[in-house]
Amino acid sequence: MDNNRRPLLEMRDISKRFFGVPVLDRVSLDLYAGEVLALLGENGAGKSTLIKILNGDYQKDGGDIYLDGELVTLREPRDAEAHGIRMIYQELHYAPDLSVAENLLLGHLPRRGPFVDWKAVDDIARKYLALLKVNIPPRALMRDLSVVEREIVEIVKALAIQARIIVMDEPTAALAPREVDILFEIIRNLQAQNVAIIYISHRLDEIPRIANRVTILRDGKHIATRPIEDLDTREIAQLMVGRKMTERSRKTAPAAGEPVLRLERLTRPGDFEDISLTVGRGEIVGIFGLLGAGHGRLTRAIFGADTYQSGQIFINGTPVTIRSPRDARRAGIGFVPIDRKVQGLVLDMTVRENVTLANWGQLSRMGWFRRRLERANTQKWVDRLGIRMAGGVETRTRYLSGGNQQKVVLARWLEAGVKVLILNEPTWGVDVGARADIYEQLEALAAQGLAILIVSSDIQEVLSVSHRILTMHKGRISAEFSRADASEERLLQAAAGGEA
Amino acid sequence: MSEHVASPATTERRRLPVFRLQEGIGLLAILVLIVVVLSSLSPVFLTQRNLLNLLIASTTIAMIAVFTTMLMVSGGLDLSVAATAALTGVVIAETQEALGIWGAAALGVAVSALVGAINGFMVTVVRINPFITTLGMLSVARGLAFVIADGLTVPVFDPGFAQLSEGMIGPIPLPVAVTLTLFVAGWAVMRFTVYGRAMYAIGGNAEASALAGVPVQRYRFIAYLLSGLSAGVAGVFLTSRLYAAAPQAAQGYELTVIAAVVLGGTSLAGGKGSLVGTFIGVLILAALTNGMTLLSLSTDYQQIIQGIVLLLAVGLDQIRVGSLGRLAAMRT
Repeated sequence: MDNNRRPLLEMRDISKRFFGVPVLDRVSLDLYAGEVLALLGENGAGKSTLIKILNGDYQKDGGDIYLDGELVTLREPRDAEAHGIRMIYQELHYAPDLSVAENLLLGHLPRRGPFVDWKAVDDIARKYLALLKVNIPPRALMRDLSVVEREIVEIVKALAIQARIIVMDEPTAALAPREVDILFEIIRNLQAQNVAIIYISHRLDEIPRIANRVTILRDGKHIATRPIEDLDTREIAQLMVGRKMTERSRKTAPAAGEPVLRLERLTRPGDFEDISLTVGRGEIVGIFGLLGAGHGRLTRAIFGADTYQSGQIFINGTPVTIRSPRDARRAGIGFVPIDRKVQGLVLDMTVRENVTLANWGQLSRMGWFRRRLERANTQKWVDRLGIRMAGGVETRTRYLSGGNQQKVVLARWLEAGVKVLILNEPTWGVDVGARADIYEQLEALAAQGLAILIVSSDIQEVLSVSHRILTMHKGRISAEFSRADASEERLLQAAAGGEA
Repeated sequence: MSEHVASPATTERRRLPVFRLQEGIGLLAILVLIVVVLSSLSPVFLTQRNLLNLLIASTTIAMIAVFTTMLMVSGGLDLSVAATAALTGVVIAETQEALGIWGAAALGVAVSALVGAINGFMVTVVRINPFITTLGMLSVARGLAFVIADGLTVPVFDPGFAQLSEGMIGPIPLPVAVTLTLFVAGWAVMRFTVYGRAMYAIGGNAEASALAGVPVQRYRFIAYLLSGLSAGVAGVFLTSRLYAAAPQAAQGYELTVIAAVVLGGTSLAGGKGSLVGTFIGVLILAALTNGMTLLSLSTDYQQIIQGIVLLLAVGLDQIRVGSLGRLAAMRT
């Protein structure tokens, strides 16, 4: 970048507290027209807070924002839009049954009298699509487009409303490698239109390909801003994590017992490929991957909620066929899904009913529940896992805290007597205190002989609970670490596709 | 592990309420209000004879409503029940000579079960939306009834068969006794059996249920099958009571059934509902119809008033639940 030019956007000494806790501490960021600035940091580093302040979603507690050297106030997203700032979120908002052109001009369709001027709609849409050399027919329906095409339409739309600054939040999270190439092509065309881009991604390997500069945040503080030429992915990972040693006690991992779960070259092309691993009796194996690495889909396939194309699953050395969650349960596999409210719990049913949901067979006789047994078993797990709720086992799970809800799902599989427990992002949306509690429970369960497979995008989580850690990158296992060898830097690098 | 908040002793003793009173109190109040108003307007209303008539007249709706409640708790819907009841009646009428009345009744009920099974197949295997599936089936069943009966009302008179509706168990007419039995049995099934639990689980969160290993589609199929079967049984009693089967019988009853179930607090979205609520819902609509007939209000006006009562009852409930929900959301 030409450093003599004035930056298009300057955010100076931005501070923000939530309930007295500082999440941003005098963070500065500048952005020049026509550049791609990668904004990097771990979960909780303050990236999204900073971006939400830029978009007017949050109000800063301190600091100033300048556009073209002029002080601006951004009270709400509409202010940001008026200044040409546009967010493109991971989850796109579009009207699936309208055409590309209609989506581009939604809200300000050109009119002739009371009617939409369809010719003008087409012409304007064509003009903007051409600006970015996009090859999507304006009359195509949004629902017929691929994910990357929808994302591109969203970018063109930003251009159509005269955006000068576009913020992209994990734009490649849901994309296949060749789609990433297409997206990058469009981003370069966007740069040629002199638009400035703030690019947020966890995929470190793609940063050198697209970014001009990087700004790294850690724990709400600005750590570094450098031209991309000055850093490699290893250094970036180091800066993101910091040199701090992780405080967790490095207990030596207990020796794993005989293999309980074994996967042999489990494959579904495009999602996960050639996955071979074992989880032993009493062992906690963690799989760390960034968003979209395929580890979440792998868990669903092992549990029979999704399919796999080839490969074999073994339980205690015996090959098993798993085509549905019922098959998995019969084989002794339990699954704690990522979104407990959508996939885990029947929120309007009680703790008792949720805990026993996977064990009706043993708790009933001729179709009638053995109520005393059901209640006693529920109470046993509530006591053992320390599930807390105001009204006892007849409380509806809707009213439990996130951590306690997660324990209810956990209890369900213990009640069902599984040998293998697979957890997908087990502490997603669970507060810090409850997290430690859940980790302790998992340790205790492993000590009693359960084989546990944890899949997570949270590096701290994987590090603090696993006995052994695998990393996944683009659907494949990219590295394996013992508990002693694993470190944030090494995991992050292996998961981001760099050499370990 | 740390200390526990809930001690086993307190939770052990906690009993399930038979019916969540605060949810049903408004409903009971409406029933009482209607009874009070009608009995003050008509001296006949509260007589034993009229009340028996009222109950007998409500049995067709009530028998079906038991199983519609189960189906709707699971998140399903069946619009074909009234047409199926009529089809069953017509099948009985047309085959009574060949098969004998009881053979014909068995065939009629078998037909209704088949209708339910087809609905279940369409919804769970072909995956057509329940509304469309059962709307289509409504049309098919009603059309078939007209074709088979050639559009005519066919008399069905067999003294034994008539006893189905005229017989008494003590002071209680047989159809009323059967209906009450169905309600009590259904209530127990919904509360104490795996099947009932499955209905609530599937209606509450089908995805989570499937991920817990519940055979979701199998239970949904059974719910449709039973819904069809109940329509058939109701059709048998209706035919017995009318001494005849008509292809246009029970016209529009599917909506009355759904109205009674929804009035009773069952959520259209599934997961919530109880047979106690449905029972009160059926009584409200039955009392209203009966009372308005006593007051010689035309059926046109009856429709209007029934509609208003339904909207009022459900609307008030929504406002209450909605505002409570919003309060709870604000606190978190």
